[in-house]
Amino acid sequence: MRRSLVLGAGAAVTALGLLVGCSAGGDGSDSGRTTLEVAALEGGYGRDMYTQVIKAYEASHPDIDVRLQISKSIEDEITPNMKAGRFPDVVVLGQGRKAALTETLVKDKALEDLTPVLETKIPGEDRTVGDKLTEGIVGNLNTNPYGTDQTYLMPMYYAPTGLFYNKGLFEEKGWKVPGTWDEMFALGETAKKQGIPLFTYPTAGYLDSYFFALLADVGGEDFYTDVMTYEKDVWKTAKARQALDITTKLLGYAAPATAGYANEQDFTKNQQLVLDNKALFMPNGTWIVGEMAEAPRAKGFQWGLTPLPAVTTGGKRYITTSVESVWVPSAAQDKDAAKEFIAYLYSDEAAKIFAKSNAIQPVEGIASSLSAENAAFYQLYEDPSVSALVGGFASTAPVPGVDIKATLFDTANSIISGDTTEDEWQAALNDASEKLRQAGD
Amino acid sequence: MTTLSTPRQDSTNRTRKSALRDGSSRSGGTRATVRRRADGRFVLACLLPALVLFIVFMIVPTVNVFRMSLYTWSGFSPDLRFVGLDNFSRLLDDEQFVRAFQNTVALLIVVTVVTMGMALFLAAIMTRQRLRGRNLYRFVLYIPNVLSVVVIAAIFSAVYDQENGLLNGTLRLLSLDGLQQVWLGDQKIVLYSVAIAMVWQSLGYYMVLYMAGMASIPEELYEASALDGASATRQFFSLTLPLIWQSLRTTLTFFVMSAVNLSFVLVRAMTGGGPDGSSEVLLSYMYKQAYTNSSYGYGMAIGVVIFAFSFLVSLLVSRATRREPLQF
Repeated sequence: MRRSLVLGAGAAVTALGLLVGCSAGGDGSDSGRTTLEVAALEGGYGRDMYTQVIKAYEASHPDIDVRLQISKSIEDEITPNMKAGRFPDVVVLGQGRKAALTETLVKDKALEDLTPVLETKIPGEDRTVGDKLTEGIVGNLNTNPYGTDQTYLMPMYYAPTGLFYNKGLFEEKGWKVPGTWDEMFALGETAKKQGIPLFTYPTAGYLDSYFFALLADVGGEDFYTDVMTYEKDVWKTAKARQALDITTKLLGYAAPATAGYANEQDFTKNQQLVLDNKALFMPNGTWIVGEMAEAPRAKGFQWGLTPLPAVTTGGKRYITTSVESVWVPSAAQDKDAAKEFIAYLYSDEAAKIFAKSNAIQPVEGIASSLSAENAAFYQLYEDPSVSALVGGFASTAPVPGVDIKATLFDTANSIISGDTTEDEWQAALNDASEKLRQAGD
Repeated sequence: MTTLSTPRQDSTNRTRKSALRDGSSRSGGTRATVRRRADGRFVLACLLPALVLFIVFMIVPTVNVFRMSLYTWSGFSPDLRFVGLDNFSRLLDDEQFVRAFQNTVALLIVVTVVTMGMALFLAAIMTRQRLRGRNLYRFVLYIPNVLSVVVIAAIFSAVYDQENGLLNGTLRLLSLDGLQQVWLGDQKIVLYSVAIAMVWQSLGYYMVLYMAGMASIPEELYEASALDGASATRQFFSLTLPLIWQSLRTTLTFFVMSAVNLSFVLVRAMTGGGPDGSSEVLLSYMYKQAYTNSSYGYGMAIGVVIFAFSFLVSLLVSRATRREPLQF
């Protein structure tokens, strides 16, 4: 009798132990020290810069322990805990990722208002964060996702995106980088005769940098905002049609291999086409240099970056600027310490460490710390006819079954293969946009 | 499950022995009752951990899928909104969902028929024809089953590569250039490319299962039928097939279930549902909706459809294949 009781108790303890073992977690603070949980995406910039910045921060803030969680799929690692109610204090993670964690929290209104950080003095310096940031980098849909004056996502690094090409090939052939779409298509014909397709893309998702800039090129920033905020019937306008016309024509010049390689497994093969002189242009970001650093390339290859050609001669051109963000979940425990830490991320000390890994922050005076290759890319912003374009589709309440980014970008695969017509594309876009507009109201 | 039950039996035997030893001084009747009761409690206690785990990790999540399909929820926020069957009525208007459903059904049919047919055929040849080197063939065909699906995806993306892949390369070598395809880029072909990878992955496993079943059929039956003048084909259809029918039924049900899962992993690793959603299957679409599109409730509604669908298919398969079991 007693033995079976012991056995029963033992079994119950085992069962409980199995369950508890999964949920045991560390305690946030002990004896007045604050532990700050920082989660960051290990992107193309690597992880060293974060450990160095944290070390420097801890040296000047001895009462704070910073615990860094960093991974290439950081969403997978932090979301289980978040669902259980344990949130990190600071998250460095941009939008446009497949897991869409940032977007989800934006849609949920689950982010802390970081407007006060702009007024905070940077630790060890005289200026506030807001003073130091490059003009125009906050106050757009990327940082103020609800279109209000409140900033929820602080811009962390920025990088120009655009059409990447082989500078060496253009010099060798004596070609000029096209300044207008007419020149672009003329070049397409010339190159076609020599057996080089004009265009490719790694995966259709990379067309974001292309499309956003094109929409602004065609109709100006107001039109761009209309599209991004799902203005009624915006996709039925002549301007929208013009953007789709240009794209459809451009896709007609796409390398034949493009659609077959445009998936997660093979996208680098599309990127390789440019390195091998088998395609002239592809939309991409500055990380491509590091990403393909080890890849073989044609003789005399040199990365070049150009904004999209202008729609009319002398027309304004936009550069879609990818901005990675840092944010604080509203359910975080040490929000004040988190804001203080974010302010520190903009200090000269931190900016220098970040810049060494080619992570360029939108702060004044960063130009002096750029490497030669990067300097050429960031120089594009100095052209008076070129403007930075930040943001993306405005967030609405989620609409089941509607993903306008997929409709806008992925359809390119079907346009190339002829499975969809431009008219169907336009209709699908208008339909998706209308559904999202209704969800936003 | 087997690993859990084996030690349980062992320890029961051990207790029984020790109970015998302890109870030797007591009277026979009471001893038996006490022992039976103690045994019952012991079995219960041993089952408890597994039972708790089963409830927490299987029953509760499954019930939750059904519950969540009636809500809209983004996945994190505390505000859940009850919408009744709205998610399900939306499904009917969702073209992408319909396409994913069609793809799943097509994959299930093609892959099941081809895999089962080939596995049976190969198993029959290897057991009946005493093929030389059949152990090697069995080994080679079984290997894909041990590989992780991500590895398989990588292998097949190399095989299907449109420029220097194995498939197109061989076709070029044979001067069959006209047959070359963009295996993963052509929307009409991509689903079959995925299907081939699925067949390749599961063929060996089912072949080995059937070989085991066929090996246990007594040799005399074949000898007797051979004396009656039955050909190998006749033997296969009149002897082999009816005698392994029960294991065929079971594997068929298992296969339908696992094919639904396998198609998801393979599609996700190989094509990401592309190009432009043409290789999307139900599970990958559910994943996209629940996570990427922040529509958790909608995703769960798709989950419920998948559950109902696999349940129904398994039921139908098991009903349609019901036969009087044959003994030998």
